[in-house]
Amino acid sequence: MNPKRFSSSTRPSTTVKSRFACGFLRALWRINRQRRTSTSASSREICRRYLRVKVAADVSMASAVGSRRAWSRAILLRKLRNQGQNGTVRVRRMSNIPRMRKRNICGNKCTEEVAGTCQAEQLRKLVPGGEEMDMCNLLGETAHYIECLTTQVNVMRRIAEILST
Amino acid sequence: MDGHENEGILQCPSLQCPSSGMSTNPLPEKVSGMIMNSVSMYKHSNGADPFFSSGWDPLVSLSHNENFGGSSMVSHREFASTPYPIVLENQGISGTSHLVQYPSSSTFVELVPKLPCLGSGSFSDMVNSFGLPECSQIANSECPQNYASSKEGGTGRTSTNGALSQDDRQISAEGAVGSSPNAKRRKRVSDYNNSPVSPRQNAEGEMEKDLSGQSSDVQKEPDEKKPKTEQNPGSNFRGKQTGKQGKNASSADGFKENYIHVRARRGQATNSHSLAERVRREKISERMRLLQELVPGCNKITGKAVMLDEIINYVQSLQQQVEFLSMKLATVNPEQNVDIEQILSKDIINSRRGTGAILGFVPGTSSSHRFHRGTFQGTLPSISSTTSKYPLLPQTVLDNELHGLFQVGFDSCPAVDNLGSNGHFKPEL
Repeated sequence: MNPKRFSSSTRPSTTVKSRFACGFLRALWRINRQRRTSTSASSREICRRYLRVKVAADVSMASAVGSRRAWSRAILLRKLRNQGQNGTVRVRRMSNIPRMRKRNICGNKCTEEVAGTCQAEQLRKLVPGGEEMDMCNLLGETAHYIECLTTQVNVMRRIAEILST
Repeated sequence: MDGHENEGILQCPSLQCPSSGMSTNPLPEKVSGMIMNSVSMYKHSNGADPFFSSGWDPLVSLSHNENFGGSSMVSHREFASTPYPIVLENQGISGTSHLVQYPSSSTFVELVPKLPCLGSGSFSDMVNSFGLPECSQIANSECPQNYASSKEGGTGRTSTNGALSQDDRQISAEGAVGSSPNAKRRKRVSDYNNSPVSPRQNAEGEMEKDLSGQSSDVQKEPDEKKPKTEQNPGSNFRGKQTGKQGKNASSADGFKENYIHVRARRGQATNSHSLAERVRREKISERMRLLQELVPGCNKITGKAVMLDEIINYVQSLQQQVEFLSMKLATVNPEQNVDIEQILSKDIINSRRGTGAILGFVPGTSSSHRFHRGTFQGTLPSISSTTSKYPLLPQTVLDNELHGLFQVGFDSCPAVDNLGSNGHFKPEL
């Protein structure tokens, strides 16, 4: 199958998958290092760790993808904002998506109302950064997001297997 | 329409002698008239008998095509075997006024046997090209471009359009070739405006698609479409190709600029808003098709709503899988050996992953030394628990692929950045 990012795959270490795997493993290592210092196995610790791992997975995936995609940008911005609340990081304002696109958002009539919310709205909630996209871009972002999610799932599963053996 | 007629024509390629040919073939009058005209014109310029023997077949096929009323557009692949999809209007073939626009120097001229429209100068070129075997191979991509480039002047088109509108039936073949078989009357003289955008898409047959009632409206299109830099006229050319007969008053629009050239299809509004709407819809349907390939099990789903539901479910299930896996990773005991991380990274990247749901992750170049060394240790357990209705991306048995990676002793722990430089066995699915 043709590589989608052919230009980057010529050097093997620059595929999205490899970048994600590296970043995620580093993050896991950092989290586990903290875990070793505090050896409590309480559920709260586990829960906290779980959240950190989840955020790490998302952020490392977004970093691997880069800023090319709206959803990865949204994830990275969200992370920066969260950091900014805790620290002194300033979030650089993204340029406003032209509001004229809002017209297209509502112009795409929902053929079905699912649980009272439009399907497009549901999709927008699922895909990070999808709130302000028109339908066409939303679908494109969804396609890329699905791709990256499958990679993420596979890599994480592999890591889990290896770590649990 | 007249199959027997066509047979007659085809079987009598010795229709070389127009007089004799005409007498024997029950051609419609205008066709015969057309042929007569062409032949007579040819005689003026050339007058060589071999022309007929060698080059008449395309003309025959032209008339053949004409008999079908231009109903069959042949794809450019079949170009060699099928007649030129020249559609000649039954109303008659007008004079030579069209051919004035005809570029005499381009190969397009050679390809397009516009019989009735033969300009004196161009006819010989066309005639000479008939005998050429390359005629059939001349990609239509060339012709539309040539033609379009000749029309770059553009301004004259609107004026000629008026003249052409009645004579519109004259179709130049280059755009016609390769279009879908449903083309009725292709009066797309001005269809070539699309050709600079995408000759390939031309070949896919926009011929019949685009009619605009008023050329003026279509003229406005470039302005309307200006914000759209994406060139995708082909998207307009998919879809309904109903066998509608009738005039396709095509409007001229041969600007080669950065906006989408949209053509109003027959029976559709030519309002700029509706055109933009149609472009938007085409884009959306294209994306939906892409998504259909990504989401497993959606090949048979037709319908946007159902498709969207599937997509939403799939994204939700993937996100749930990520959450589940992160929970699992949070609970797993950390390994003491740090080097394992690096080994893992190599392993993870090089291991073969799941189903075809993953696209385009090609592993790095293979280095055989790691492939042969080392042994694979253990088999991989499979994760079986998931709450989503989608099956987990199946684990493949990796022993045959990982034996190069897992080594008994971690003799070398290359840096994480050197990932992927190790061997990879097979490309990702």
